[in-house]
Amino acid sequence: MTRPGLRKKIALQSIAFIIVGAALIFLWTDLKKTGAAHIQTSSASHASGPLPSLLSDLNLILPISLLAVLCGIACAFYLEEWLSATSWVRRFIESQVAFLTEIPSLLYGLLAIAILFSYVGVFEDIGTPPVQTVNESGLTAVPFQRNITIFYAEALIFISMVMPIAIKTTQEALRSVVTPIRESAYALGANQWQVLASRVVPLAFPKILAGGCRALSRSLAASALLIGIHIPAHTTGPKGIPDRFILFLGGALVLSTISSFLIATDDPSTARHD
Amino acid sequence: MLSQFHSTQPTETINCRQEDAQETTGLLCYKLATIKKMNYSIETENLSLWYGDFQALIDVNVKITDGQITSLIGPSGCGKTTLLRCFNRVNERYGNVTTKGTIEVLGKNIYDADVSLPELRKAVGMVFQRPNPLPISVYENILFGLRIHSPLRSITRTESDRIVEEALRSVFLWEDLKDKLKVRATSLQLEQQQKLCIARLLPLKPKIILMDEPCSALDAEGTLAVEELMEALAGRYTFLIVTHNMAQARRVSKECIYMFLGELIEHRETQALFETPEHPKTADYVQMRYG
Repeated sequence: MTRPGLRKKIALQSIAFIIVGAALIFLWTDLKKTGAAHIQTSSASHASGPLPSLLSDLNLILPISLLAVLCGIACAFYLEEWLSATSWVRRFIESQVAFLTEIPSLLYGLLAIAILFSYVGVFEDIGTPPVQTVNESGLTAVPFQRNITIFYAEALIFISMVMPIAIKTTQEALRSVVTPIRESAYALGANQWQVLASRVVPLAFPKILAGGCRALSRSLAASALLIGIHIPAHTTGPKGIPDRFILFLGGALVLSTISSFLIATDDPSTARHD
Repeated sequence: MLSQFHSTQPTETINCRQEDAQETTGLLCYKLATIKKMNYSIETENLSLWYGDFQALIDVNVKITDGQITSLIGPSGCGKTTLLRCFNRVNERYGNVTTKGTIEVLGKNIYDADVSLPELRKAVGMVFQRPNPLPISVYENILFGLRIHSPLRSITRTESDRIVEEALRSVFLWEDLKDKLKVRATSLQLEQQQKLCIARLLPLKPKIILMDEPCSALDAEGTLAVEELMEALAGRYTFLIVTHNMAQARRVSKECIYMFLGELIEHRETQALFETPEHPKTADYVQMRYG
């Protein structure tokens, strides 16, 4: 693709960024009205605003999702580059991945609440707010406290939600590097690792990154839904607007916009020769 | 020791690398080849190949003469490309490929257990149907092969400059590209890209260059340029080209092989094959009654 073409694409894509930015500003002001002011002023132990629980959520979600995305990418590399298409392991994993990616993320939330949480028997613990301490200046400092069983249950749900998407998008990215490109490197005597490092990964990288963003975005969107569902048990702003719901939704929006940006501005002339 | 891709002799390989790898091995092989009076770069014996259950090659016996251009012709699906791809074992990447018989490249059976694939593919270069340079600069494209075969940072700047210039000069691209060395190779004209793909092989000092319909993506002018290049390089390298274009086979090659449904029908000098074909199937094809 020529450079002017790329510029045009970037210009068009930035419209999406502007829309998302405007939406976020709107969400943020809304959040400020309800919860953000609360964070600073409240010294009550129960209604301390969204920040403590938000941080507590992020503390769980980000490491787990990142780990799941990395594992998913590694898994996709193994499936696509090392296993033959006829291998039953590959067929099994691919069919499961196809199944899991088709499930709407709301169902994961419901699954998490309905089956897993009740099965491990710690559903009641969700509602208890983190332990709060009040220091002399009147601000709250919140140590994280999580039920370890809940932690594993949530982690499991997140992994089963994020990993399939990471696997699928990475596989698609790797397939977009067509055979002639790989063969030309093999024909020069490169081994598999050299082909991967020198040709496949650089060409597929934007798409892999976009896939990672998509998977993370989905995990955030699902958290927003989860929060939306069990929000009554939690602290909310005075108007009852679930602040964390808005923040997570905003995060999901940004990530999916980045993902679409990466895909749209990826130069196809470098990846496709046929 | 004709087998430059013989992996069981690590000491030899290492010694070669320490002294200038390209010069020494190339020269050594060439000398040994002349001493032994090896007239054939590639010899196959009862070569059969299956893709799953489908037999793509049936008892092919062929001897490719050293240092000249041989062309493979035949209708689509007759096994020309398959045969070509056997010679540097690129075929194996497809999975479910079974091969029987022997293929001797430069006097060494390439299906022996001690053959190292990188060394084999260094000696037997390949050019593909569509030009497929890497989406990096022209300069790095030419050094790519060399870099993957030598330890990190072992090529000095002056050396690499010399190698790039030499390679581009031998494919007549130096004048056009000497100011564009930093340009992305995929942005060049198709003809230049294809020539670059040939230039990319040269720093590795191959003995044999396989070409799979090298001109099918090019226009008449590009085809002419690539053909002229092949003629200029013949003698230094053994060329084996697959082509659908019979006029091209006639123009370029000294010897010609006609294949039909996985079998080698006729292998003779080009002129003889086209003017007085021995086999009726060949006559049908070259006189355009078939295919």
